[in-house]
Amino acid sequence: MEDMLFYDRLQFAFTITFHYIFPQLTMGLSLLIVFFKWKYLRNNIEKYNNTAKFFMKIFAINFTMGVVTGIPLEFQFGTNWAKFSELTGSIIGQTLAMEGMFSFFLESSFLALFIFGEKLMGQKLHFLTGFLVFLGSWASGWFILATNAWMQHPVGYEILENGKFVLNNFGALFTNPWLLPAFLHNQLASVVTSSFVVASIGAFYILRNKQTEYGKLFLKTGVVFGLISSVLLAFPTGDWNAKNVAKYQPAAFAAMEGIFETEEAGAEIVLIGQPNMVEKKLDNKIAVPNILSFLTYQEWDKQIPGMDQFKKEELPDNVPALYYSYHIMVGLGTIFIAVMALALFFLWRKKLYSSKALLWTIMFLVPFPYIANITGWYTAELGRQPYLVYGLLKTSEGISPTVSSGNTLFTLLGFVALYMLLGLLFLVLVGKTINEGPKPQTH
Amino acid sequence: MTETLISLVSILIGIIGANITGFIFKKYSFGVTGNTIAGVFGSIFLIKSFGRLGFNPLFIMQNGTFNTSLLIINCIVSFFGGSFAVILISMLKSKMNNNNG
Repeated sequence: MEDMLFYDRLQFAFTITFHYIFPQLTMGLSLLIVFFKWKYLRNNIEKYNNTAKFFMKIFAINFTMGVVTGIPLEFQFGTNWAKFSELTGSIIGQTLAMEGMFSFFLESSFLALFIFGEKLMGQKLHFLTGFLVFLGSWASGWFILATNAWMQHPVGYEILENGKFVLNNFGALFTNPWLLPAFLHNQLASVVTSSFVVASIGAFYILRNKQTEYGKLFLKTGVVFGLISSVLLAFPTGDWNAKNVAKYQPAAFAAMEGIFETEEAGAEIVLIGQPNMVEKKLDNKIAVPNILSFLTYQEWDKQIPGMDQFKKEELPDNVPALYYSYHIMVGLGTIFIAVMALALFFLWRKKLYSSKALLWTIMFLVPFPYIANITGWYTAELGRQPYLVYGLLKTSEGISPTVSSGNTLFTLLGFVALYMLLGLLFLVLVGKTINEGPKPQTH
Repeated sequence: MTETLISLVSILIGIIGANITGFIFKKYSFGVTGNTIAGVFGSIFLIKSFGRLGFNPLFIMQNGTFNTSLLIINCIVSFFGGSFAVILISMLKSKMNNNNG
């Protein structure tokens, strides 16, 4: 049973991590595309329109890859997590179905119209199709986050005698206090990723001295959007999420912050340290006293329960992974604010386009927002352990009892091979599109 | 479990079908990127629509026994799904542009 649980979790972690590379870009990029198209409508400068269409091509490649890698997740609910689907299907099925019916169809239909219908529809309708693609992709995030929010903080349900969860308040799914902060944080994180992608393509063009006019536009837009979204990501949305974790999942909060022992007067914030699970302490830590209490409760001396206050079975089952995921996410987020603030300063001083060191830095930073997004999700998911539905259904109770670990391992290896192929195809297609660059309108 | 892998293989075959069609019939081609995107949606559309006739991944792995013939049918349908998608989208595109004069 232990083995089966391990491989089921490993397979889902691998497939969903790979999948999330794509939607995190499309959600943020759709906002930037709408912005470029809106600029074109206002100023009638052709390069804004070409930019919107160029990024819609990158959007389309990512969207397609997202669809392909999303299919195994749908199957896995039935194959690896059949018990979970059986018990909670009448609740999570609502939001997942809405994601497919409303968001996916909205997004895919209007994506095709945006790509092919510009001449037919005229510019205002073309802008509207871009806006509807944006709406579809953000609605998709909303429904997925509503599903996850219910798993993190279940509301509006009752449990029948046979153990099945049923919904007794549909509205509660969308007024769940976990949902809004998680959604805003997630969407802003995807705007950060997109801003870095746009800025890094701009830096690439400027460094290569190719398409420099577009390069400057991409860089400027990426830096401005990147700084605004990075700051909003930390405050208020990151802060709001952390307070929610402290309120609803105090054991996870203690683990992600690395609090092994409850401190009498105020909890310190740990900047660096390595969890030592044998001696139940952090090794080589650098911490600032009382800051965590202040950030969480605006009281310097407020006590925050450490892991010593919880039973072993209530604590997340992989404290080091949770602790590192959280700290990597926060650390990278801080670096993003610093780099984007520096870039904006250089832009203001009119030195950004000629500062090669900064251009190289921005270009090579592009994988890191992806890492931050993924470690952010690891924080949420590892923090929820050992539960699938927090406090109600253990992860070990949700797996399919008849699927052997050997079977799961075999398919996992198959996924690794196929995803390597898909990843390669994705890189070739995106590389080719970036290399061609935005194409001027032909009349 | 293997059903999931089959569905991915099937999409890859759709991508191949779309790109081969684009390569042979140049007037329908959208380039590698466009053909690939069309191939994904074409194969998914055809398999999702007609797979229940007996060749979707669940039927292929019915009772845990792998059915090679059904897999071959699935792959052929995917291949044509990709091909048809390229041709259909291309015709749709030129129709839309023609209508606009």
